Amino acid sequence: MLRLEAMSCGYGGMRAVEALDLDVNAGEIVALVGSNGAGKSSTLMATAGHVALQGGRILFDGADISRASPMARVAAGIALSPEGRRLFRDLSVRENLIVGGYVRDAAHQPGNMDTVLDLFPRLKERFESLAGTLSGGEQQMVAIGRALMSEPRLVLIDEVSLGLMPKMVDVCYRAIQALKARGLAVLLVEQSTARAFAVADRVVVLESGRAVWRGSAAEARGNSAVIDAYLGVAKVEGAA
Amino acid sequence: MLHVELTIQGLINGSMYALMAVGLTLVYGLLRILHVAHAGLYTLGAYIAVLIANATGSLALGAAVAIPVVGLAGMIVYRLLYEPILHRPPYVALIASIGLFIVMEESYRLIFGPYGETFNAPYLAERVSVGPIGAKAAEVAMVAGAIVLLGVLAFLSKRTRFGIAWRATVTDPAMARAFGVDTIAVRYANFFIASALAASAAVLVAVLNNLVEPTMGSVPSYKTLAIIVLGGLGNVAGTLVAALALGVIEAFGTIYIGHLLDRDAIAFLFLVLVLMIRPQGLFAAR
Repeated sequence: MLRLEAMSCGYGGMRAVEALDLDVNAGEIVALVGSNGAGKSSTLMATAGHVALQGGRILFDGADISRASPMARVAAGIALSPEGRRLFRDLSVRENLIVGGYVRDAAHQPGNMDTVLDLFPRLKERFESLAGTLSGGEQQMVAIGRALMSEPRLVLIDEVSLGLMPKMVDVCYRAIQALKARGLAVLLVEQSTARAFAVADRVVVLESGRAVWRGSAAEARGNSAVIDAYLGVAKVEGAA
Repeated sequence: MLHVELTIQGLINGSMYALMAVGLTLVYGLLRILHVAHAGLYTLGAYIAVLIANATGSLALGAAVAIPVVGLAGMIVYRLLYEPILHRPPYVALIASIGLFIVMEESYRLIFGPYGETFNAPYLAERVSVGPIGAKAAEVAMVAGAIVLLGVLAFLSKRTRFGIAWRATVTDPAMARAFGVDTIAVRYANFFIASALAASAAVLVAVLNNLVEPTMGSVPSYKTLAIIVLGGLGNVAGTLVAALALGVIEAFGTIYIGHLLDRDAIAFLFLVLVLMIRPQGLFAAR
């Protein structure tokens, strides 16, 4: 579904990600882990079209979308729940969801909203509350829900658990697994390796913009060196 | 009874300020531009209305033409004046806006003469009374017009998909664009609505005073700037409250301290006092 081919991206003269190869398939969760500045968020942002590509290609369903606008990528079926969530703080939960589905026909809106509310029943109680007044966990639910309103086939989720209470993280991860069960592809960035390894099918470890380890979540769980690499304690042998 | 009448008079003036200032704060909220030329568009609306009303005998036709034409003129101002300099520091747009306002005022003077135009037959001059309280029909129309127009604006922005997308664009244009909102269309719509509101205010003021003159935008130009600062720059609800509050304070001030200060000076004394206590304005800026 998604294929990054030697994808490089960055900001101005600075290179954030260097020649990254990555596949994400339907019904699969791939986790990107790594230390701060490793290029995880930049990979998501480049895939969504918010960071300029400096090399390589991004293919979605076989089509080259490297030069497509962020809006065109949303229309194609790629949705982003960005770092820091970037909700429309002065808009209610309902209104945030409406904007999330703006690229689709208005007739789809009620059905998509029901899907989001089934996934996050808590948002029903906060439906008319301003997004800026919600707790961190509720904001994360809105960010993921807003992304789902565009009827994506690939969801990019940045920093799922950052700053959230464990109970809220559980809710978010249950929802992410439900997305997988529906056949959606999920590419997520996660600081907590335990969480990432528990939910993901495959794991890619980034260091200084390069993939230094990749394998199944089961392999990652059994390989403490991955965690060391993630923490920046030691490099993993046999780096990809 | 005097206080009731002063309050009503204040709300009438405040309604005019609200129609003007809400448009100004909409532009500021979206583009961070202090759109001084807004007052030039206001005057344009009054001239179109008076000329058509006098030519056809229909004020309704004059208003029906003036309001959308000024809305379109606002879009043209955005396209030709602001869009090319959006990437420049905000003071560049401010200077350009002041320049355009001066050009507009002088153009009105050259084209229509310095003495102003009046309606051939004064409209809405009769008095309407409810018990002991009376007001001119034009004053009632001013308040009713403000309530209806700002009510429609609130409905559009809260209850329609485009209105919600518009507010999302004000909050985070890049994210709104990423979700498929046509932010360029939002900007044009913003200028159309803001300018149409200014034209509505102008038609009502022209009817109320039975006078349209080249400089009729001068006082509103700086007073509405004061109002949007008081209301918290870009904050529509705050601007509405500030406009009505200023109208009422001016009305009371004219009676109680009018022998010391001119009405416009009272407005700015109020602004200075509020900003000394709350530099961010009465309400938080957006």
